[in-house]
Amino acid sequence: MRAVVLDEDDTVGVKGASSRGICYAQKSLEIFERLGIYERIRAKGITWSVGRTFSGAEEVYTFNLQDDSASEQPPFVNLQQFYLEWFLVDRIMELDCTDLRWKSRVTKVDNDADAVVVEVETPAGRYALEAEWFIDATGANSRIREAMGLEVNPSRSTDRWCITDVRFTKPFPTQRWTWVDAPFNEGRAVWQHLMADDVWRLDYQMAEDCDPEAISKPEVAGERLRAQLGPDVDFEFVWIGPYQYRDHLLETFRVGRTLFIGDSAHVVSPFGARGGNNGIQDAANLGWKLALVLAGEAGDELLDSYHAERHPAAVENLTVCRRTARFLAPRSRAEHRIRRAVCTLAKRHEFARKLANTGRMAQANAYPPSRWAKDGARSVQNVAEGGTTLMRSLAGGTRFLGLAIGADAASLARLDELAALFPIDFRGIDASGPLARHLGAAAGTVVVVRPDAYVAATLVEATPEAVAAAMRDAVGADERARLAAVA
Amino acid sequence: MSTASKPVMRTDANMADPDGFYEAWIAAHEGLSDEESNDLDARLVLLLANQIGDPEVLRACIAEARAGRAPAR
Repeated sequence: MRAVVLDEDDTVGVKGASSRGICYAQKSLEIFERLGIYERIRAKGITWSVGRTFSGAEEVYTFNLQDDSASEQPPFVNLQQFYLEWFLVDRIMELDCTDLRWKSRVTKVDNDADAVVVEVETPAGRYALEAEWFIDATGANSRIREAMGLEVNPSRSTDRWCITDVRFTKPFPTQRWTWVDAPFNEGRAVWQHLMADDVWRLDYQMAEDCDPEAISKPEVAGERLRAQLGPDVDFEFVWIGPYQYRDHLLETFRVGRTLFIGDSAHVVSPFGARGGNNGIQDAANLGWKLALVLAGEAGDELLDSYHAERHPAAVENLTVCRRTARFLAPRSRAEHRIRRAVCTLAKRHEFARKLANTGRMAQANAYPPSRWAKDGARSVQNVAEGGTTLMRSLAGGTRFLGLAIGADAASLARLDELAALFPIDFRGIDASGPLARHLGAAAGTVVVVRPDAYVAATLVEATPEAVAAAMRDAVGADERARLAAVA
Repeated sequence: MSTASKPVMRTDANMADPDGFYEAWIAAHEGLSDEESNDLDARLVLLLANQIGDPEVLRACIAEARAGRAPAR
């Protein structure tokens, strides 16, 4: 798929002097594995899976996300966002099929029925660009979205925080630590995370009526830091930034030939790392669909499934993040009392730990039933088996994978005939192996996995006809299959 | 679970010893400040909610408790 990427800037972000996403979840890491940059991310970033939550001086609960993982990738890697963007840009250059244009700002969009015409402003002048499809990934304040008159119903929180990215010498475990009500932060919340280059992300909840300028002065931030780390600790600030989070949701992620992804379509509060990770998942969901439509292997209505799947995922993320935000910023004495009851009981009883909420970490959202996936679609982890992994088998990015559980050579050969009609390849897998176990699929079953590693269908009666029907559903009305049916 | 046995909030008399429960509940509040009493009740709600578990029953109980508040004076 040939694409032009326009970026109004000429850099992926000044090193260190910006504070954006830091936590990349397993599904994102698996996508990066498929794209060929996971190893760089792992080598540079901080791998973690344990989160600990404190109330006052006592621990309230701990989770280890590794317990539920069957993947080659860990539950999380922390990395400053500019590194991630840098690695992606390097990979784009290396693959040499995308035209990346810096210092190019979109000033006008004509979203016509046949094509999208965008006006691009550059230091050398303006020009018009005609595209079959146009993706708006310009973020929360998208002017493209605004110019098209699309409403996102934003809601701004009164909760205030101050990020402090800092280097210090005190050794801490590489775990996610959160305090609901830290004694060293006047009884308000604190986050503690390690990123690359020995930089810690410390995020302090502030009083709602604080002066953002005053609380982000280095001497004030330094006092907070010493209150947490002790009076003698040596530290060096990398970035201090006060913020208020907001959220919003676009009603429809597809408007004709324009598609909205990432923050342009949905914004959530930062708790649980559901922002950046869902932007990455948007791209993974849309990419293969666009490629099949452009290759004529699917009709353009397949792009409606991008909205049908990613919009409900955004709604779910919004709900989850709003619940966390409400736990962290009680609005009345009654809410404080209820939270106090949760934290008190959580120190002693398992059931109450489930109620303490300092973020439900980003997961690959399941998609609801639709015409493209009758039973809905759920993500498959990157399980290793037979000298390869699921993501390596999907590396091409545009073909489905039919996992034939315990299939013999003859039935596999029959299935293989479908590879000429549909964008799918088949692989026989061991019925008692880790992949079959992870899928919960018995011998004789064919599991149809999409290029974004979601299960499109689980076929117990795995005839070639059944697989063909599932593929017809999954890609929509397929021109080549229709022709084949006629012939 | 069949639809006929769909769980609903019980409003028939289900306590084996209602007077004993009342006595124990108020005894637990003895000598506490309003703040401490309120905290105790909040903890009690959580402990009882976990005995019930079923989200539909819990939601029905919350709605009924909200509907039954004393009229504003």
